[in-house]
Formats: sequence, C-alpha cells, structure tokens
Amino acid sequence: MLKVKNLQKNFGNLRALDNVSLEVEGNSVVGLIGPNGSGKSTLFNVVSGFYEKDRGEIYFKGERIDGLTPDAIAKKGLCRTFQIAKAPEKFTVLENMLLAAERQVGENPFAALFARRRINPVEKKNVERAIELLEILQLIDLKNEYAGDLSGGQKKLLSLGRIFMRNPDMILLDEPTAGVNPTLTMQLIKVIRELQKKEHKSVLIIEHSMKVISSICDKVFVLNFGQVIAEGTPDEIQQNDKVLDAYLGCA
Amino acid sequence: MTIVNFIIYFMIMVGIYALLSMSLNFQVGYAGLINFGQVVFFCIGAYTSSLLATKTGLPLLFCFLSAMIVSGFFGYVMSIPTKSLKSDYWAIATLAAAEVIRLVALNEGWLTGGPFGVMSIPQPLQSLFSMENYPLFYLLLVAMCVVGVYFCLTLITDSPFGRDLKAIREEEDLCLSLGKNTRALKLQAMIVAGMVGGLAGALFAHYITYISPENFWPIETFLMWAMIIVGGRGNHAGAILGAALIQLFNVSTRFIGAYVALGSDSMASLRMIIIGLLIIIFVSYRPEGLIKEKKKVYHLRTSQEE
Repeated sequence: MLKVKNLQKNFGNLRALDNVSLEVEGNSVVGLIGPNGSGKSTLFNVVSGFYEKDRGEIYFKGERIDGLTPDAIAKKGLCRTFQIAKAPEKFTVLENMLLAAERQVGENPFAALFARRRINPVEKKNVERAIELLEILQLIDLKNEYAGDLSGGQKKLLSLGRIFMRNPDMILLDEPTAGVNPTLTMQLIKVIRELQKKEHKSVLIIEHSMKVISSICDKVFVLNFGQVIAEGTPDEIQQNDKVLDAYLGCA
Repeated sequence: MTIVNFIIYFMIMVGIYALLSMSLNFQVGYAGLINFGQVVFFCIGAYTSSLLATKTGLPLLFCFLSAMIVSGFFGYVMSIPTKSLKSDYWAIATLAAAEVIRLVALNEGWLTGGPFGVMSIPQPLQSLFSMENYPLFYLLLVAMCVVGVYFCLTLITDSPFGRDLKAIREEEDLCLSLGKNTRALKLQAMIVAGMVGGLAGALFAHYITYISPENFWPIETFLMWAMIIVGGRGNHAGAILGAALIQLFNVSTRFIGAYVALGSDSMASLRMIIIGLLIIIFVSYRPEGLIKEKKKVYHLRTSQEE
C-alpha cells in the first residue's frame, strides 16, 4: 500500500530522517514509535506532502507520490491527522464533518449557484453519515458547537471523525489518543480496528502508549534519530535491545 | 441640489459601496484573503465599461458585462501569487497591484485619457426618463444589483464551496489534508469578488458620467475596509450596513463643514482621522463588527427520532 524508500529530510544541519525505508501492506495496522524528536511526525509530514523530501522515494498504491501537493496526495486516498489537532475556531463540529466528506457537489461558485437541486440530497446524506459517526465518537451533543471551544481530547476525536467521514484507503494517525480518556481510547481503538477490518483500510499510527500499540498493531516500526532501528510484531520489539536502549538510555 | 435629490444620490452611493464591501467581505470574511487593493476592481470595472461605451458605442448591457468579466479576470490574476506568498505578503502585493493599475490609467493617455479621465459617459436607458426621474431609475437599478448580488453571494456562501472557503480562512493546512485544492478555491473566490467589484465600478462610472484616476486612490480601499470592520465580517448584511454607516458619516461631515470654520482640506483630513478612530474603537471593543457572523446550523429533518 505505502512504500517509503531511503527517505531523507534535513532541517539545516539536522538530519531528521536518515535513509528511512518502510512498507505498510494493504489491510493492516502498523505502528510507528520512537522517543521524542526521533522523526515520526516529520515522516508523516513528508509522506503527506506538507514537507519536501531531500532524497528518496515514496509510493502509494504503486504510484509515486513524492513531490505531489498535500491535497493531491489526500485525493489519492492517503489522509492524515495532525499531532496538534486542527480545530477551526468558528466552524461547528458538524461543519467540520461535512467539510471532510468526499465527492461533494457544489464545491465551486458555478455549481453553488446553479446546481442547488443536486447539492441538497448529497448534503443530506452526508449529514446523516456525520451524525452516525458523531454518535460513535460521543460528540453528538456538541454537533452545533464551535470546534474551537472543544477540549483537547475532543479535538482529537473530531479529527478522527473527519478522517472517518472522508473514508480514505489509508490513514496516517498522529497520536490519535493523546489526551483522550482511557475508556474512550479503548473504544476508539475498537472503532479503528473494526473499520479497518470491515473496509480493508490500512492504518499507520504514531502512538506512545504501548498498550494501544500492542492491542491494535500487526507490525511496528521503531524510529530513533531519524533511522529505523527495529521492526517486528509488538511482542518482538518489546524485547528488542536496541529499542529498550533508545527508550531507557541504558546499554 | 434639493434634499430629495441628495438622498437619492446618497442611496445610490451606498448601494455602490455596498457592492464593493460585499465583494471585500467575500474575500476577507469568508476566504480569509486579506486584500488591500480592493479599489482595483472598482477602477477596472469603471474604466472597462466607460471606455467601451464611449469608444465603441456598444450596448451598455454589454459594457457592464465586460466590466464584470475583465475585473473578474483581474481577480484571477491577483490570486496567482497566493500560491507562493503568505497572506500578509500577499496583502501588500494587492496594494501594489491596485496602485499599478491606477498609474496605468493615469499615464496611458491614448487609452484612458490620462489625468483628464473619461468624460461624457452615456447612461443606461437615459432617453426613457426625464432629467428629474432619471436618478430615481438609477437608484432602482443599483438596488436591483445589490439585491441580486446579495442573493447570489448568499447562495454561494451557503454552499459546500462557501464552507470550503471558511475552512481555508480558519485552517488552510486542514483543508489541504482533506484533499481540498485551496489554490483553485481561492482563485474562484477572487474571480467572484472581482466580478462584483467590477459591477460596482461600472455602476459608478455610468452614474457619475465622468471618471478619472482621482477616483481610485488607495484611500478608497481603506474606506471599504472600514465598512466591513464596522458592519461585521462573515455575513453579507454586515457589509451592507457598514457601507451605509460609513457613507452616512462621510456625507454628514460634509454638512457640518458648512457650520464649522474649517477649510475643505482640513475637513477631509478630519473625516479620515475620525474613520480611523472608529476602526480602532471597533477593533478593540467589538472586533466582530455590528452584525456578528452567524453560526451555521444544519436542520436535521432526516432522522425522526431526534
């Protein structure tokens, strides 16, 4: 599904990504872990087109996507969330959900003026789907509140909601459960897992909680100082010396 | 000038400025495009329509439409640098663009008449009305344009396109991450805004019947900004209210001039100082303007249980 080959990204003299290669197969959940500053979010930013790479190749569904703009990559079915959840201030929760919907009618002024009849049924369908998802995410009572007024955890939920609404082939989740309470976290994990199983989606997830990682991931990559230092099943990497060393700092 | 005529003149000018401030509000209040060169649409609309009318004698309807198209095209041209310039730098570029066009109008005398401007611009359907009734007809024409534009812009901003624009204003990266081509959306928004601004320019030119580069100083943009700051952004009614209030203020100080022993020069400066103060007061104490942006609530008649 997603294949990253020898990716390199520098910020001045700092090498944020150093020859990173990894592969996410279709229909799987892959974790990406590593200490702070190890390059996880940078990798997301490069893959999703927000940063330009310095070297390397990125393939999605067999097509090369490095060099494309973020919106073009998202259109191909590779969508991401942000570590600091984006929450447009003067934009209600429901509007956020509708914004994310794919294949909308009336996204240009001409259609807005002359295709009123075709817009309404699509909008109605999208509202229905948004309501369903908001119920799952327990945001339904807040549907007409401004996203800027939500708590940090709720903003995280909303960004998941937008992604589910868009329903891409592959999702990049940047710490989706940070700041979300443990009960809801486990529910979210279940939702992500179910969605992935039912619709055969692929997920690449950055997460700090080992509990989340081991309950959801088929495979894990570990980054440290911009390099992949280990890969394997959650159980395997928990016993990997290099990984323990990176996290705990003891030889 | 009788008082009735003066009121008609005043209302026509309110209507023309309402179009300009609605166009500016569409850019600023919806798409978050900080345009400091709004007067350029006014200028291009006025010159296109009046030059076509005086030099070619084409039907005025055609001149009006051309004004909208040329001005809309210039909106497209202005939107091109948004891909590489961040919003504040783009704002300065728009200021420069407006000055460039004004200077072209001032210096390319063979086309625009230079500092002498364009004179004896024909008025639409003039032969059908008497001299006394004509302003009333023109007021009706302007009012129809304002209502039509209000209606169209409302349709546009209520649509998914309007939602996308608002999202760009709030979080452009989020839009990109959801697959929105924000460049194309901004471009379309600028074309719409340009067309509305061009219409206002044409209406102005054919009403005043004489235009020159003097009409299109950057200070006009400043007035339009004052209108949307006072009236409120993110809704079209606010732009119209702001246009009416600032125009009222502009005109009323002209009357005061008759009673206060100040030269017309110092009166004009004083007016600008007071409008500047008004902006400061609004920005500090009521930043959302007189009419607040409404929260968009979707009616959920589809699910019966709720």
